[in-house]
Amino acid sequence: MYDIKFQNVMKAYGKNVVINNLNLDIKESERLVLLGPSGCGKTTTLRMIAGLEEITEGKLYMGGRVVNNVSSGERNVAMVFQNYALFPHMTVEDNISYGLKVHKLDPAEIRKRTDHAIDMLDLKGLENRKPKELSGGQRQRVALARAVVKRSPYFLLDEPLSNLDAQLRLHARKELVKIHEMYHQTLVYVTHDQVEAMTVGNRIALMYQGVLQMIDTPSNVYNRPANVFTAKFIGSPPTNIAEAIVNEGKLIISGQNVSLPEGWLKKVKENNCDKLYFGIRPEYTRITTNYTENAFTGIVKYIEDYGNKFGVYFEVNGTEFISVCDENVPVKGETVYFAPDYSKIYLFNHESTKSIGYPEG
Amino acid sequence: MLITKKQERNKRNGLLGYLLILPSFLAFAVFMFWPLLRTIYLSFFEWNMIKPYKKFVGFANYVEMFQNPQTYKIMGNTMVYILILLVLNFIAPYVLSFVLSIIIKKGHNIYKRIFFLPSVISLVVGSMLYLWILNPVSGPIAVIAKMLGQTLPVWSKSEGLVLVVLSLITSWKVFGYNFIVTLAGVSGVSKEAVEAARLDNVPMWRIFMDIVFPMSSATGIYVFIITIVQGLQYVFTPIKVITQGGPNFASSNMIYNSYQEAFTYFRTGSSSAFSIVTMVLFTILLVLEFKFVEKGVYYEN
Amino acid sequence: MRTKLSEIKWHLMLTAIALILIIPIIFAISNSFKTLSDAYSNILNIIPSNPTLNNYLQVFSQLPFWRITLNTFLISAAVTVFKTVTSFLAAYAFVYFVFKGKNIIYFILISTIFIPFTVTMIPNYLTISSLGLSDSLLGVILPQLSDAIGIFLLRQSMRSIPRSLVEAVYLENVSHIRIMKDIILPLARPAVISTGIIFFINSWNEYVWPVLILKSQDHYTLSLALQTYVSQESGTEFTVVMAVSVMAMLPPLILYFIFQKYIIDTFTLSGLKG
Repeated sequence: MYDIKFQNVMKAYGKNVVINNLNLDIKESERLVLLGPSGCGKTTTLRMIAGLEEITEGKLYMGGRVVNNVSSGERNVAMVFQNYALFPHMTVEDNISYGLKVHKLDPAEIRKRTDHAIDMLDLKGLENRKPKELSGGQRQRVALARAVVKRSPYFLLDEPLSNLDAQLRLHARKELVKIHEMYHQTLVYVTHDQVEAMTVGNRIALMYQGVLQMIDTPSNVYNRPANVFTAKFIGSPPTNIAEAIVNEGKLIISGQNVSLPEGWLKKVKENNCDKLYFGIRPEYTRITTNYTENAFTGIVKYIEDYGNKFGVYFEVNGTEFISVCDENVPVKGETVYFAPDYSKIYLFNHESTKSIGYPEG
Repeated sequence: MLITKKQERNKRNGLLGYLLILPSFLAFAVFMFWPLLRTIYLSFFEWNMIKPYKKFVGFANYVEMFQNPQTYKIMGNTMVYILILLVLNFIAPYVLSFVLSIIIKKGHNIYKRIFFLPSVISLVVGSMLYLWILNPVSGPIAVIAKMLGQTLPVWSKSEGLVLVVLSLITSWKVFGYNFIVTLAGVSGVSKEAVEAARLDNVPMWRIFMDIVFPMSSATGIYVFIITIVQGLQYVFTPIKVITQGGPNFASSNMIYNSYQEAFTYFRTGSSSAFSIVTMVLFTILLVLEFKFVEKGVYYEN
Repeated sequence: MRTKLSEIKWHLMLTAIALILIIPIIFAISNSFKTLSDAYSNILNIIPSNPTLNNYLQVFSQLPFWRITLNTFLISAAVTVFKTVTSFLAAYAFVYFVFKGKNIIYFILISTIFIPFTVTMIPNYLTISSLGLSDSLLGVILPQLSDAIGIFLLRQSMRSIPRSLVEAVYLENVSHIRIMKDIILPLARPAVISTGIIFFINSWNEYVWPVLILKSQDHYTLSLALQTYVSQESGTEFTVVMAVSVMAMLPPLILYFIFQKYIIDTFTLSGLKG
């Protein structure tokens, strides 16, 4: 009932298209994270749901009805802005209860909701302070409180944690999830921080240059990326991506070749492509200095020390890979052997950059 | 303060600083501060600017001023001027700035440039133009009125109405400047705060009263004050050009009256007393503004 | 879309106001090219039926028009130069120097903006007379010289220049004059230009001091000439009055059209008191 649906939505500022043919289904009561680099359109998408941006083409459904022409105030949406947007001339309490007062809610009800929000967000004692007298974390909680008292079925958050320091962020993240578990709103959350996205979201919608790249559970987004961008964006250090060709059962990278297992060969044949991108995450890139058959050979060029692990940069005939390992770390100049773990690799169609799929089992 | 480590340099700095402000300060000293003192002095005398000696009368000028019923008529007129000027040049630009900045969002530049245009034109010219336009017999407004079966009153001779018309003429020049300033103030209000209110379905007029106006209050106070202080001085020109304070002092205000007392009736003592009282009123306004700006400055920084 | 209708309503209102403000000027220009009979019979027509330059010619024959314009220009120029230069120096001092009483002095200077001219008019008049400057251009120039608005505007503008720029140069032991000339002036140029133009326009339109000081028509400024011209000859052909008005407002209008953006931007900042 309180779902959100984008149908072929396009948004342009004059000639500048910022959202291109967006089709996105957000389920009722789920926590959906809009993730992506700056400028990818995630905030614009969020603001379209709020009615703060016009939709150029296409339809936006909320709860089954088309809301393109419905004003923000009538969509029953609660929103937390990146800079909190508190009213600087009002006290914390007035900030929280302002919306309720304007709509002449029963004073007892206003009191109840306001007190509850102040309590839940640990703002007791701060009711009569003005925003300028509060710390960043406190202001953020006031912004949350203001959104929460509305009891809206839709809850939108625009990078709500990006102005907080690391420690506070952890705490605030947990609070958000708690709020959601209490009220079950349809929650749409914008962030550029992957870790936040993975921990908060039931599903992640990854966007890039106004185009939806992939929408799926954090696990799938991580382990089964739908395209090259997703593979490279999610995870740190980024996924190794190399140009590859499949020919006569062999996977060929930079002139070297290994045998590709049957499951993958089937996928390649299904997709009818021979030029591909090969991908594997650094933490699954197992290398060894011991001679290995059916493996790629490379020279170590550079080593990074992460404290608990090492990043080993090695080149396979000029193509660079990173391997993250914590023991048996090779030294610069050494020859290493890289036999890919085929349950962990990704293969993408070279032309479309889309994943060719994953073998069963 | 510029980074200087030597004491000597600091001293030289201080000296150079004084030197740099000296020319301005001299001009102020000769034509502003000393005259201010002199006017206060003159307010205790009776003098017609020609006689070689002045007659000391103590507070007589002030007493006479407050005992003269005409004074109250003039003060009343001043209040009416202030009210009309505030409506046309404080409330109107503020509301329109809100409309332009938050409701329409487009066309800022064009409107700004057109509204400001009359501000660069002399009010003497403005008075001439409006004398013709509002001419009750042969002006275009009168012609249109006649077509609608109405006749325009002879406003320059009707008490009350004359105040309105002279305020209108003055506002023609003042509106543009005030609009620019209020627009800047309103535009400076956090867009997101307004959006937050819109999401709460707060009606526009409440967004203006509860959010935009308080958040731009520093600008608001500034415009409020200059509308009164400068507006009243600007009205001097149309009064002098068109009605010379008439009919029967119905269009005179405190500023014009001071002028008239000095240069038409040659009663410098009376004029000076009037001027001082006017200035005291303005000073009270200044003090009020300072208090408000202390509070208001946070929002705009 | 849903909002377009209410938006249009507001646009209409704003356009109406714009028209109300501009119409007088348009009528003035239109009437200045009309013959008197045309002006009286076709009051609402903007386009003259028999456009004529007669009104303008009459102005020149009835007034020493060029002389008067020259007077106005000289006065405005002198006032502008003095005020702009002194305001610039003073603003510079207020921003980059520390000296005893700086803030108090600044506050006092700025608060003079709120002093009505009637408070200083009699003594200034007397000063000018006793200096023998009655009925002279200098007598009109001098009282206009104390105007704090320039100091205020230029100080605001200089404060927006990053301090680090000035400090870096100052550490190189460059003299203040060089700093003013090579760094501050170029960076504050828009504000300096606007301030100068505003001074010029205000002085051009100044009415009070010419009225008080000037006596002979030869020395008149445009504002004064315009007003006396009208009151002298009752029944003056108003088309000629319109012609004089147009010519009087031309220089400020031209300056405005050229420097619009600067002027408006400078005043936009002036309201945000800091």
